[in-house]
Amino acid sequence: MLYSHKLRYLGIVSLILGISLVCQANETEAEKVRLIGDVSSGSGATAVHNISLYDKKGFVILPEVNFNQPFSTRQSCGRCHDYETISAGWHFNAVDEEVQGGRCGQPWIYWDCSTATQIPISYRQWPGTFKPGQLGLTRWWFTRIFGRHFPGGGAGIKDNSSQPALKDRWTVSGELEINCLACHDGEASHDQAEYARQISQHNFRWAAAGSCGFASVTGSAKELPDFQEPSSQSEDAPTVFYDAGRFLPDRKVFLDIVGKVPNERCYFCHSTKIIGQEYREDVHLAAGLSCVDCHRNGLDHMIARGYEGEAPNSSKPFAASASCEGCHLGEEEASEPTEGRLGAPRPKHAGIPVVHFDKLSCTACHSGPRPRSTTFRIKTSRAHALGTYSANKSDDTLPYIQSPVFARGADGKIAPHNLLWPAYWAYLSGESVTPIAPEIVKSVAGKALYLDVELASASWPELSEETIAAVLTALSSTVAEGEAVYICGGKLYRLVEGKIIAREHDAGRPYMWPIAHNVRPAAQSLGAVACEDCHATDKAFIFGKVAIDTPLVSDKNCVRKMMEFQDGDAFYASLFAMSFVFRPWLKVAALASCAALAAVVILYAFKGLACILKVLAGENR
Amino acid sequence: MFNAFKKLVYLVALLCFVVLTVTGFYPLLILGRSLYGYWVMAHITAGAIFGGCLAVLAILWAERHRFSGSDWPWLQRIIRPRTESQRRPAEQFGLMQKIAFWLIMLLALPVILSIVLMMFPLFGTYGQEFLLQVHRYSSIALTLAVIAYNPFYLTMVVGKHKMQIRIKR
Repeated sequence: MLYSHKLRYLGIVSLILGISLVCQANETEAEKVRLIGDVSSGSGATAVHNISLYDKKGFVILPEVNFNQPFSTRQSCGRCHDYETISAGWHFNAVDEEVQGGRCGQPWIYWDCSTATQIPISYRQWPGTFKPGQLGLTRWWFTRIFGRHFPGGGAGIKDNSSQPALKDRWTVSGELEINCLACHDGEASHDQAEYARQISQHNFRWAAAGSCGFASVTGSAKELPDFQEPSSQSEDAPTVFYDAGRFLPDRKVFLDIVGKVPNERCYFCHSTKIIGQEYREDVHLAAGLSCVDCHRNGLDHMIARGYEGEAPNSSKPFAASASCEGCHLGEEEASEPTEGRLGAPRPKHAGIPVVHFDKLSCTACHSGPRPRSTTFRIKTSRAHALGTYSANKSDDTLPYIQSPVFARGADGKIAPHNLLWPAYWAYLSGESVTPIAPEIVKSVAGKALYLDVELASASWPELSEETIAAVLTALSSTVAEGEAVYICGGKLYRLVEGKIIAREHDAGRPYMWPIAHNVRPAAQSLGAVACEDCHATDKAFIFGKVAIDTPLVSDKNCVRKMMEFQDGDAFYASLFAMSFVFRPWLKVAALASCAALAAVVILYAFKGLACILKVLAGENR
Repeated sequence: MFNAFKKLVYLVALLCFVVLTVTGFYPLLILGRSLYGYWVMAHITAGAIFGGCLAVLAILWAERHRFSGSDWPWLQRIIRPRTESQRRPAEQFGLMQKIAFWLIMLLALPVILSIVLMMFPLFGTYGQEFLLQVHRYSSIALTLAVIAYNPFYLTMVVGKHKMQIRIKR
């Protein structure tokens, strides 16, 4: 009996001890995540970053020991800030297939003018884009081509879960860690164009150091053989030269780190040039706001993209307040008033029937270039390498992006979009289309293409149907099942008995992504002047033309009607627009009718009153 | 001739009323969505014509729908000890019909004004929503008033024709 009591007591104590150990472990785990830099003391001042720099192995960078080693942001910044949590942020998590892609965004555009290719690619699950792997782009090659305009992490990190491809050069280039300085460096000497140049030289591991103001990088991993780790013995090996004067006696360096990211850092990756129109600043920025006033994030770096519908479909805590409605009208779900954040005025929308807010997004009237009869062509940072030393400044350079295209979005509302007409060679099997990498096209059908033509403007080659037929014939020899096809200008071209036949296919549908900037002032929004800003048969919002971009000579200068992208009835749209001619007459007629009715009612009301008064006064008539 | 004109105006108004009722209530009650597309265009077109016809009818028929002592015999007994009943003109409308007529005239004002005011840049979003509600509820009341008026008018017209046929015989 006593023995069983002791056993029971031992069991209870063990249970209590076990629970407390688990709790302690969890507590310790939680404490590990909250590093010193991730817990605010409550001060509004930014902490001064006099810190030591560490290389990728975690050794502090000292002038007399390893001064030629690039610093590692994971090791240097990661000592105080949870690098793992940050690496799951929006700018770095595209390769994570479990992350919801949300609304379609700007894709990376893989283009090659000699093969007449421009194809949207993305790691996110955005319909209409292809995965880089479908075009033979490994993470390394994706980083090599597009790393110029993304801040590291994600595809810049080797995927250890799969066998590396032979053509990858991770050993030589190193990994492209998250470059915290790409956003948080407050120094004017921070050079993101140099970062892009280092990427182009395959100097992934050195890119962050090369871009900062207190170091320069020479050499090129591109010149080194595959699988050779760069060493100081090699002349071509990348080498870092630090400004020794920036190192304090205790071997620490002052980094001008800012929590509130300056707009210039965002501009490098998120600029748009509208060809044929002068630059007009976003009204929010002109009012003194910064990008991160709206596009906020916490430690998780899950930056709010700011579109309607983002908040309920994501776990981003700032998404609700980051949308147009969130600032200007307040958050519906908030328990306290949130309208007017950062001085956002409440829109009056005087004279705008409420049905517009069901059919149109805020950006339809307020964002992007004011539409003209035909869409503009635009250049963007990520598509055209804007801001880099090697950027092609010609207005005719690929890829060709049309804007604004007022199309019905996934939420059913009409919004302005940027539009890309994909052009690529592919295999067609049934109704399934698989793109062919440009390198394969060149190797198989190079003789039929203009490989030796250097187009100064990097624009489309002029493809004839005969050229397409020749290329398809060459590609068809490599196909086991199905056939080779060419997609461009919204159509699919097949080779049938030696001739090119075109047909509609989903693969040819343009890829569109909604735009929200630059926001125009209220007085420049659509509808600010009159209803006829949109509701007229010569206005672009409904009756504009969208240029069809194609290298095929016979289809040049083709256009599509804007209303085709709005799923609207063309006859109805024309009829409704024409009815606005009579709108002033309608107002006059209605007011005249009201005046007549009111006159009759008032007159007979007075007559009735007169009768009543007479009766009450005893006049018996 | 003039009577024919009045009847024509009445018939046009009635036709427009039917169009307005169908286009106004069908999408909302049956399709479960607000007015859109061709429904809107038909509604606006019929509404403009209906408003004009109402104004004409108001001018032409107001005198005949004027309330008289014979409409309120109980009130007359209260106010005056001796009631002198007035000879009813051959085409005098009944009390309910007169009430319906003036209700129509009164309700037409908010129905028309609410929509016309929305077309001017005077009211913001809240004002637009308020005007839409005014239009919605006054339209419902107007519809009921028109439905109440018409049976009386049609009965009167039919009765008059029957009398004319008997006289001819």
